[in-house]
Amino acid sequence: MGSSEPTPAQRLTLARLADILVPEGLGMPAATTVGVAGDLLDRSLAAAPSFFEPLLALLDDVPDDGLDAFVRRLEVERPDDFAVLSTTVVAAYYLSEDVRELIGYPGQQPNPLSVAAEPDYLDLLERVYERHPGYRECL
Amino acid sequence: MAIFSKVYYFNMVTQGHQSEVVIIGAGASGSVAAARLAAAGFEVVCLEQGDWVGPADYMGAQPEAELAWIERWNPDPNARRGMADYPLTGDADVRPVMYNGVGGGLVQWAAMWQPLLASDFRVRTLDGVADDWPISWGDLADAYARVAGDMSVSGLGGDPALPEMNPYPNPPIPIGKIGRVAAEGMDRLGWHWWPGANAIASRRHRSLQACQRRGTCMTGCPENAKATPSLTHWPSAQSAGARLVTGARVMEIPVDKRGRVGGAVYRDRDGVEHFQPAQVVMLAANAVGTARLLLLSASSRFPDGLANSSGLVGRRLMQHPYRTVTVVCEDPLDSWQGPWGQNIYSLEFAETHPDRDFIRGAKWMVMPHGGPMFAVAEYQEAHRHEGFEAVWGANFHRAAAEVFGHSFTWGIQAEDLPEYDNRVLLDPSVHDSSGLPAARIEYRVSENTRRMLDFNVARAVEAAGESGAVTTMVRDVWPTGIGHVLGTTRMGNDPESSVVDRWCRSHDVPNLYVIDGGVFVTGGSANPTATIMANALRVVDHMIETRVSQEVP
Repeated sequence: MGSSEPTPAQRLTLARLADILVPEGLGMPAATTVGVAGDLLDRSLAAAPSFFEPLLALLDDVPDDGLDAFVRRLEVERPDDFAVLSTTVVAAYYLSEDVRELIGYPGQQPNPLSVAAEPDYLDLLERVYERHPGYRECL
Repeated sequence: MAIFSKVYYFNMVTQGHQSEVVIIGAGASGSVAAARLAAAGFEVVCLEQGDWVGPADYMGAQPEAELAWIERWNPDPNARRGMADYPLTGDADVRPVMYNGVGGGLVQWAAMWQPLLASDFRVRTLDGVADDWPISWGDLADAYARVAGDMSVSGLGGDPALPEMNPYPNPPIPIGKIGRVAAEGMDRLGWHWWPGANAIASRRHRSLQACQRRGTCMTGCPENAKATPSLTHWPSAQSAGARLVTGARVMEIPVDKRGRVGGAVYRDRDGVEHFQPAQVVMLAANAVGTARLLLLSASSRFPDGLANSSGLVGRRLMQHPYRTVTVVCEDPLDSWQGPWGQNIYSLEFAETHPDRDFIRGAKWMVMPHGGPMFAVAEYQEAHRHEGFEAVWGANFHRAAAEVFGHSFTWGIQAEDLPEYDNRVLLDPSVHDSSGLPAARIEYRVSENTRRMLDFNVARAVEAAGESGAVTTMVRDVWPTGIGHVLGTTRMGNDPESSVVDRWCRSHDVPNLYVIDGGVFVTGGSANPTATIMANALRVVDHMIETRVSQEVP
């Protein structure tokens, strides 16, 4: 039975890989700047626990040098492992409140419907009604 | 009690109290049947292999909502691997998805409410392919209206592509920015569109709360605004006396020496076998589960599977092969906002046209795309072939900004005609957690369907252009299905070419009914739930009316 959370070494490795996938740019922070390898990683793995073992196995398999080339090879040669890595990094990145604020995303928040007494598309719908030949008669 | 062909049923650890009807499956059709039969005074027991689920289980209100799709709420049972799920094996172009629990597929559905076309019931007569149904649209008209009320449907009547219907009980959900942009494109082309009808309450109605637009409909609605039978049917069914047994995986439906079924054998969560005796058995386990169970119930009297003298049990599987065109626009569309039903739909290309190189057609529907994780995933899927740099590294934030909040999806679901070799079998080597054979799926997307999808995708790209798209992202046929499984126990008037009659009663076994989507003769292109529920109500109404003549063990 393995550890219940990534080791510091595994977190460090993830951080290095994460910044290759999601670097700083266009006014957005890099993955490690928002803490992708810390609490956000733990939250992601808690929501998707089936990623835990394959991700940690992958992190233990990463060479010390040549990470750029390693990630590119991973995408082509081990797509399932790359999917675990990239999905975890992206999910953790977008759990960051700072990132959400920067992209204008409040999360899947409640936002009550406003049902108008008369929809504003009735003019378009009237044209559908006028041009449609009607359904095929076969009752 | 009748004498059953397998003696060991008398040695069950427990034997339930005799019921008039046992229903297998608490999903769309089983829930309708249980509520209607219980209200009419029948003693009803429903056996459901899954559990109750509700807002406490749903993750839509948590920041990690998108991750919920990866496992706990993954629609693919092979990925989800819940205790109630059984494996789906086999070589299939499209593998079914489903949810096993109270509500069945309606726990995770997108709640799109779409009656069939009138022509769907007369495909052989009109287009010379497949078969006509033994019933017509008119035979379902009353039931369509009643189940729309029970399901608190929100929508706008008057679509000229459909026969006249009673108004829906709730006004339509606003089509939103994405619906508006899509509708304007269709308007420029002169093509059909209509505001989507959804079993999502646009205002508080019966057991449902008003939609809060979280957009997490397909991992269960945490607001209780999406219709699912645990809210819409089971409270009244249980109040009227229906008994629902969860964690009950049915293994076999035994027959007596006269060829009548006498109930159902099931295994509980602890692996203990039980026998639930009943005068009538109704199968409502979806077109995969029901076919599997009939095949599991082979006996000396029915060596090829129960109710299978036609040889059609498990065959003619239809699944609505599905492709998507994601439309990316320059203006912000706030397209993470829900509900994740259909904002608008189109039936422009749903009928056969003599100038096209395929028969029948497809339905389109506009949907949001979810949060940033989904947006990036869609971009990655579309650009994967361009290599690492197209999506990751220096291009990541540009790609994410391009699609997130700026895109919507045209979902295109094709009418796949019934093919004899598309089918459900028992897997000889893989078993579920109860030791029962897995369902093996053999399914090929036909040439007619591929041509249909190619044509419709091309038209959807055209529509996207008229909507001002800066780019589109096109996906090929989805390898996992969209939860529409139909046709494996088709209804018909001829016992040699159908499994059940027009009242969905087995031609072979007079006290055995099938009421799920397996009875569809053809699949149409409409989302099937409205028809599955309406047909179940029609069948049960008839069963109640004719109860005195029902043959029993």
